[in-house]
Amino acid sequence: MAELSEDRLIRLISLVAYLDAAGPSTLDTLAHRFDVTPGQIRADIDLLWCTGLPGYGFDDLIDFDAWAIDAGLVKLTDAQGLTRPLRLGTREAVALLAALRALAASPAVAADPDRAEVTRSALKALAHAIDQAAGDAAQALDVALANDGNAQVLTALTAAVAGRQRLQLRYVNAADQVSERNVDPARIVTHDGATYLAAWCYRAAEPRFFRLDRILDAQVTATPADRNRVAEAENLDTVEALAGLQNSSAGNDDTGSASPDSTSPGSGDGLPVVTITFAGTARWIAETVPAVAVHDRPDGAFALTLRVVEAAWLRSLLLAQAPHIIAVEPPDAARPASDAAQEALALYGIE
Amino acid sequence: MTGAVESREERLLDLVIALNASRRPMTRAHIRRTVAGYGDAPSDEAFAKLFERDKQVLRDLGVPLVTVGTGGYGDDIGYRIDADAYALPPIRLSPGEMGVLSVAARLWSDTVLGGDTARAVTKLRSATRVNSFDDMLAGLSPRISAAGPTYQPLLDAITQRRRVSFNYRAASTGEVARRRIEPWRIVARRGGWYAIGYDCDRGQPRAFRLSRIDGEVDLDAARNSYQPPSHVDVDAALALDGGQEGQAQLAIMPERASAVRARAVDTDAAGDGVAGSGDAVEGGDTGGNGVADGRDVVIVPFTSLTVFADELAAYGPAVIVMSPDDLRQAVIDRLTAAAALEVTRG
Repeated sequence: MAELSEDRLIRLISLVAYLDAAGPSTLDTLAHRFDVTPGQIRADIDLLWCTGLPGYGFDDLIDFDAWAIDAGLVKLTDAQGLTRPLRLGTREAVALLAALRALAASPAVAADPDRAEVTRSALKALAHAIDQAAGDAAQALDVALANDGNAQVLTALTAAVAGRQRLQLRYVNAADQVSERNVDPARIVTHDGATYLAAWCYRAAEPRFFRLDRILDAQVTATPADRNRVAEAENLDTVEALAGLQNSSAGNDDTGSASPDSTSPGSGDGLPVVTITFAGTARWIAETVPAVAVHDRPDGAFALTLRVVEAAWLRSLLLAQAPHIIAVEPPDAARPASDAAQEALALYGIE
Repeated sequence: MTGAVESREERLLDLVIALNASRRPMTRAHIRRTVAGYGDAPSDEAFAKLFERDKQVLRDLGVPLVTVGTGGYGDDIGYRIDADAYALPPIRLSPGEMGVLSVAARLWSDTVLGGDTARAVTKLRSATRVNSFDDMLAGLSPRISAAGPTYQPLLDAITQRRRVSFNYRAASTGEVARRRIEPWRIVARRGGWYAIGYDCDRGQPRAFRLSRIDGEVDLDAARNSYQPPSHVDVDAALALDGGQEGQAQLAIMPERASAVRARAVDTDAAGDGVAGSGDAVEGGDTGGNGVADGRDVVIVPFTSLTVFADELAAYGPAVIVMSPDDLRQAVIDRLTAAAALEVTRG
């Protein structure tokens, strides 16, 4: 995706201000600091070289030592007045403060004294760096990460992650089956509406995510966690794997979910493919279910194509979201949900 | 020369440098004549449009670009950058705090919020000399879902105290109606985004789910037209959206829906013969349908009727809602639609 010119403009201004204060820096350290590639920093410098004061004569332009750059060192020789870091805009301050407040209040940070302290002190430092108007505006946005799962479970998980100890879990999966399992915990991941434990699962013999609100009980054992297995669980790709799991009743455990190839390597081929057409009112589903493909229709409706790893997951999705669904293809894929719904309606006394 | 520029950011940067350096406010004509990128505008209108947009972009980015009247008319209006307001106040951040900022910048899935936060972090990184960023939040990967296109206009409305109007799809009926509110807060909870504010037509505070806003949010021209309360009870306001929070009485098949049972409260209210959470009730009050036969009756509190109905419907016949009626109906609506899924084949 192409970078927004707003984002680049701010980096250009920030680069000059930083170099003016810090002195010569290598391309690599600048790239690390501004979280871009050294090639991007080099391109930024080429652009800065062309900008400056009206007249745009030799002495009017931002300038760098050309010899030094060839050696990988960025040495600013004329900042043309751009020497000070730019203050935060109102919207920027609002978004950053809201993110930090959400972090500070999230169970995984609040439960750990060191994390809580560093997050609090970052918030405090920032409060001095924004002006009155932005400070007032910051109240406008209030976001909260999940506060799910029970406190005892969270305490046990946090202790086990910190102490690198094995956990014994009682867990209910998306297919509503309860199991006991031993896991070596790697980290706690908060994703929007839900919190997950990433851990090596001895029952599945591979790394897994466990939704906190599906962990019925957690006990820290005296057994140390296996380092290598913890490392494997740490490498689970959070964002990819969890993108589709919130708002669905699925947990990414052994009874799984629908999943694009990227989240279940090697398992995508041969899985049943289902296309569900949703009304435009259910737009959020497109953002939360891991689809292989999304096709938008002119009337606002959209079709999601999914690879179904686990039939129970699809049945749950269809039962919960049926009012938004226009069509299921192939139609037989809807039969389990439809049968379950008819059985349930009969219990409600509705035929 | 005021040669061509290769990109929008180059033109914007040249404008910042020019206004920063100019001792006197620059008039539009002066800017057009001397600043690179503006001379290319083919007409007065094109220049005016370009300049207006650039001015707004710079202000949004925090550049204190001020308009100065010189006492005359029209072209005598000048522009300058308020040097006293330009700079970020001195800030000292530890490697640990810098690391926290990086995690914060990755929190948003939303491109607008993500961009706003990333730019804030870029500015802060230019103001600190610390070279290593410690990731003390390692192991945490928090994410918040996208707010969508109504976030930015709503935030502008709140910060400028402007009333807004939009078309809103009611959760219960799906009908779209024009709503007019004084927005107070934008809120994200459990994967959903909401605007909370005073509903001008209904005369009371309401919560609106952003995903149900149909089309654009229109801002009134008048600024400072209301004063939001200093404290907003977000959770109370959200309970208004899609029904009251409450307690549900559920009849659950043995061994099923453990995740729901785990949230059950003491079930004394479930009727006589209830020994404790999750225990079976023999022939309790089932609303006359006898559905509780052989089932466990549990009481489970909930905060969002919509979210809870989604969760319960997904269990199909394993969980039957006995009360309250609005939750029972919401689940029946989902089941009715699901039962019809196969019928609509072909």
